[in-house]
Amino acid sequence: MSMLRGFLILVLFFLFGEALRLAFLIPVSGGVLGMILMTLTLMLRGRVSDALASSSQALISVLVLLIMPGVVGVFFMASQFSGQWLAVTAALLLGTFLSVLSTLLLMKHMGRLSVRSQAND
Amino acid sequence: MTELAERFIAMPEVLSGSPIFAIGLTLSAFFAGNWLFVRIGRPLWMPPVVLAAVILAFVIAVLPMDYVRYQEGSLWITVLLGPATVALGIPLYQQIHHIRAMWVPIVVTLPLAATMAAVYAVVIAWALGATPEVLASLAPKSVTAPIAIGITEQLGGSVPLMMGGLLITGVVATLFVDLLAKWLPVEDERILGFALGLNGHAIGTARAFEISHTAGAFASLGMGLTGVFTALILPLVFRL
Repeated sequence: MSMLRGFLILVLFFLFGEALRLAFLIPVSGGVLGMILMTLTLMLRGRVSDALASSSQALISVLVLLIMPGVVGVFFMASQFSGQWLAVTAALLLGTFLSVLSTLLLMKHMGRLSVRSQAND
Repeated sequence: MTELAERFIAMPEVLSGSPIFAIGLTLSAFFAGNWLFVRIGRPLWMPPVVLAAVILAFVIAVLPMDYVRYQEGSLWITVLLGPATVALGIPLYQQIHHIRAMWVPIVVTLPLAATMAAVYAVVIAWALGATPEVLASLAPKSVTAPIAIGITEQLGGSVPLMMGGLLITGVVATLFVDLLAKWLPVEDERILGFALGLNGHAIGTARAFEISHTAGAFASLGMGLTGVFTALILPLVFRL
């Protein structure tokens, strides 16, 4: 029962997010809006109920199952994007390499700066 | 006797139209993928979801059932992605106190790095002549799958192409973080975890939890914040 109660809360937040998206024509999915509202609500309340924690844990643990129908589509669209595979491959490999490099360098230097500013305080 | 045979012959046609058949197929492939993943020694470069998807694609191709039919039936599964995305707000709330531990690097790095994760890919693909639909499918490549599906739908991209790109990104981001951590070098587990979650979403986060619990916590935080930030910013950028 308590897991279903948690699930109901998740569904209500999702529907609320969808309602916000449709009402104000926000170009962000209802799920993400519901997620942001959920995080803000929990920050205000300062705790998570057991029902909500257990049902969110359950849903997150089967996320891989939920995305499988989307993933399998990759194998049925080879002809749809013919001629663009070089662009896609280069973007994924080179783009990811550059973004990992940028993140590590940024974090490294910002971390050093914040340590230095604390030392100066 | 011939009537019974006829009923058997007609059976695949009737059964494959039912959503419970698509659910049964997906669940079977999910368990088969997990089983195979353990059998081949849990390789980082081949996550169980890829194995499961290959098995599922093979079965759909072999059965007298087309992908569109499967997709209709599997709507019963994918519809749960909405509440599952909301559920990601709970671990995000539980990790958010880590921001206090190193808020300067996080607050400065996150918007820049999350933007670059999308911009590098889109610019490279655009320069090599990719269509707007492909660009919209590549933009959310570093975002966790349930959020990325929402983003792609809003931008008008192809969900299957985005999912393929997402999985490749997760795998190569994990390899690149391991490689560059030695080369730069970066030893702080919090930085490595954050970079893994930010660039490699759930696949990177799984790797971070192998490094340490702290790295995993920062990866979860990086993944959640990147998801929220990208979901809010990309639609605005793509409108321009």
